[in-house]
Amino acid sequence: MIKLRNVTKKFGSLTAVDDITLTVPKGEFFGFLGPNGAGKTTTIKMMAGLFTPTSGTIAIDGHDVIKNPMDAKGCTSYVPDQPFLYDKLTGREFLYFVGGLYRMEKKAVAQKIEELVEHFEIGDWVDKRTEDYSQGMKQRVTIAASLVHEPKVLIIDEPMIGLDPRSAKIVRETLRKKASEGVSIFMSTHSLPIAEELCDRIGFIKDGRLVFVGTQNELQTYKQKFDGKFESVFLELTK
Amino acid sequence: MGTFLHILKYKFIAFLKSTFEPRFATAVRGLGSLLVFGGFAVVAYLFSLGLTKFVLDQTRIGLFLYHRFISMLLFVFFMSVNLGNIIVSYATLYKSSEVGYLFTKPIPYRQIFTLKFLDNFLYSSTTLFLVALMVLLGYGTYFGHPWYLLLGVMVFVLVPFMFLSASIAVLVLMSVVKVASKWGFRKVMGGLAVVYLGIVVLFFRFSNPVKQVQEVNANLGNVDAYFKEIGSGFLSYLPNNWVSDVLFYMARGETSLALLTAGQLLVVTLAVFMVVLFVADRFYFRSWLATFEFQSGSNTVESGKRIKLFDFRKNSFLSPQTESLLKKEYFQFFREASQWIHLAVMVVLVGVFALSVRNLNPTLRVTEIQTLTYLILYAFGGFLSCSLALRFVFPTISLEGQAFWSQLSAPVDRRKVYMVKFVIGFLLVLLLALLVAIFSNEPFVRLSERRPLLMYFGIFSAFWVSITLVALNLGLGGYFANHQEKNPIRVASSQGATLTFLVSLVYLFILVSVVLVPLSQYFQSLFLFFPFDMRGIVVPGTLVGMLSAALTGFALVVGLRSLDRDF
Repeated sequence: MIKLRNVTKKFGSLTAVDDITLTVPKGEFFGFLGPNGAGKTTTIKMMAGLFTPTSGTIAIDGHDVIKNPMDAKGCTSYVPDQPFLYDKLTGREFLYFVGGLYRMEKKAVAQKIEELVEHFEIGDWVDKRTEDYSQGMKQRVTIAASLVHEPKVLIIDEPMIGLDPRSAKIVRETLRKKASEGVSIFMSTHSLPIAEELCDRIGFIKDGRLVFVGTQNELQTYKQKFDGKFESVFLELTK
Repeated sequence: MGTFLHILKYKFIAFLKSTFEPRFATAVRGLGSLLVFGGFAVVAYLFSLGLTKFVLDQTRIGLFLYHRFISMLLFVFFMSVNLGNIIVSYATLYKSSEVGYLFTKPIPYRQIFTLKFLDNFLYSSTTLFLVALMVLLGYGTYFGHPWYLLLGVMVFVLVPFMFLSASIAVLVLMSVVKVASKWGFRKVMGGLAVVYLGIVVLFFRFSNPVKQVQEVNANLGNVDAYFKEIGSGFLSYLPNNWVSDVLFYMARGETSLALLTAGQLLVVTLAVFMVVLFVADRFYFRSWLATFEFQSGSNTVESGKRIKLFDFRKNSFLSPQTESLLKKEYFQFFREASQWIHLAVMVVLVGVFALSVRNLNPTLRVTEIQTLTYLILYAFGGFLSCSLALRFVFPTISLEGQAFWSQLSAPVDRRKVYMVKFVIGFLLVLLLALLVAIFSNEPFVRLSERRPLLMYFGIFSAFWVSITLVALNLGLGGYFANHQEKNPIRVASSQGATLTFLVSLVYLFILVSVVLVPLSQYFQSLFLFFPFDMRGIVVPGTLVGMLSAALTGFALVVGLRSLDRDF
């Protein structure tokens, strides 16, 4: 579903992402971990079509992100690490806006919005302008917007930032459910417990290079080499 | 004071780093600005010198009358700076996230206010300083004033004059915010607009230029004397009069009177600024809090549930993507007070200009005079379009802000995103350009006994000028985009915007140069009753079209490529 082949991204003399090859099949929940500045967001932005790779190819559901961006983006949803919204639009208007960008019918968007507003417990806030939203509310609306058009692939950068425990639980459950419905999820996170709880496979990136990719079982085996803690594995792989 | 200087130091460091950033785009901006500013400075200087020479040596209206006209221009300048500062200061003093951050620190409110006030004044006035300085140098060269004297006039007279205007603007703004929290923002702004319009009308009623010409002519033997009694007494207490009086006294070599008047202006400016600081110390923070109240008043859940005019919930004949993009543009624009108020002001100004020029009665059948009059109106109409495009089209891509990810990551063709913005900007600028073109050509159509050629030419020009200016501003606005800046006025006064504005002016200058000779030939043929060779208008018209098309194409390519950059 998601295929990265020898993907590299350079900013001048800095190599932010260095020759990453990775496949995320349909229905897999892939966790992408790494220290600050490792290249997680850069990788994600290339997949979302916001950055152009310096070399290599990225394909989403068989569509090359550079050569067929419309087809690739049509089945993808992206959730950025910072939930920036159009401040003069209400939450509802933003959801309609996104629905329109994905060419959805008005009725379908309206129905979906009602479902998502209830599911994410956005309530009356949905009819207020987003300039008055807290960080957590913006995050909820952003995640809701990513689900309006029922994507096949979900690319999420740090989804839990700003969420209270209740909202975080809703988001975790939603993502797990989506994965079980066949949606491929590529999620970057700093939260090791989240990664352990949700992800089928986990990848570690350090200085732009993929230093480990493995399933939960493979990770468990690797953990035994240390004190059995995920944190120790993370620190060892990214030192 | 120590804290204030400390903050200033870091702001200066940040300014230097961003201005001299080692990036290709920054270098292009810097070099381009240098060249264009330099060229523009020379043009402003020559224009001022030429105009002064023409008015005093050719038309010989005398020093007094000339400085009275300068006083009127300075009044318009004062009001423009004042109105502009009210609008810009609202964003800088009340909407800036920096202010919110500084209020959490142990910094006196007065210092925060002073910091942002100076930030606003300097940021929005840099180009004005340059223009004023060059015009002053041109004017002063005619009288043989040394450059250091003129620099002194700039620093101790013109800058305080602008500073006074900005200070009054901020006082008005703080009063508006206080009142608006009780009566509602729109009502208060409407009232303020009426008051300002009244001030302008009253000023021109009491200092009627035609009446002043007549009164001075009655004393024709002594045209350079200072006719204190001409015009109402109270007008002599206006700061624009003080500035023109300083220049008048300097022209007559009356240095002591010039110094006295300049001193008067400085003292009043300082006194007003002290009042502003006093009011800010007591009221700035409270007024900042008050802005949240009247903002949230319009942001209720009930207002959100009402089905509005262009509501997203309503069906449309447009494709879903186009509809979404258009509606987003609409709400983002009309829910931002600094945008729609400024647009309303500009539309009113354009309307006033169009209606006044419609009543022009060019009866003199003299080729040079009518050609000059036509070209001035033609150029001024182009200048209005430049200003509109700069203010409302240039910032469009920057104002997408960090939320642009939602469009760039969606299956939307970036050309569609671009063209939606282009069409909106083009329709706005074209509508107003056509209004000006039609009304300003009407008197000449009357003069030419209903021959419509000039009208057709005016409409043709309005179309090409609009499309080119919008393309230039959108394209270069994308190239110089700053997605971190939320204030549209700061985007429109950025270095990239200034460069774009000056490129637009160069384009207009070329157009005027291209049409000068054929226009002169047309009027000549009209007044001397010989047939006009249509090639005389087709050839320059084709040149105008080709130049405009080339610039439009170039700007479109630059703009579209800017959307392909990493975000």
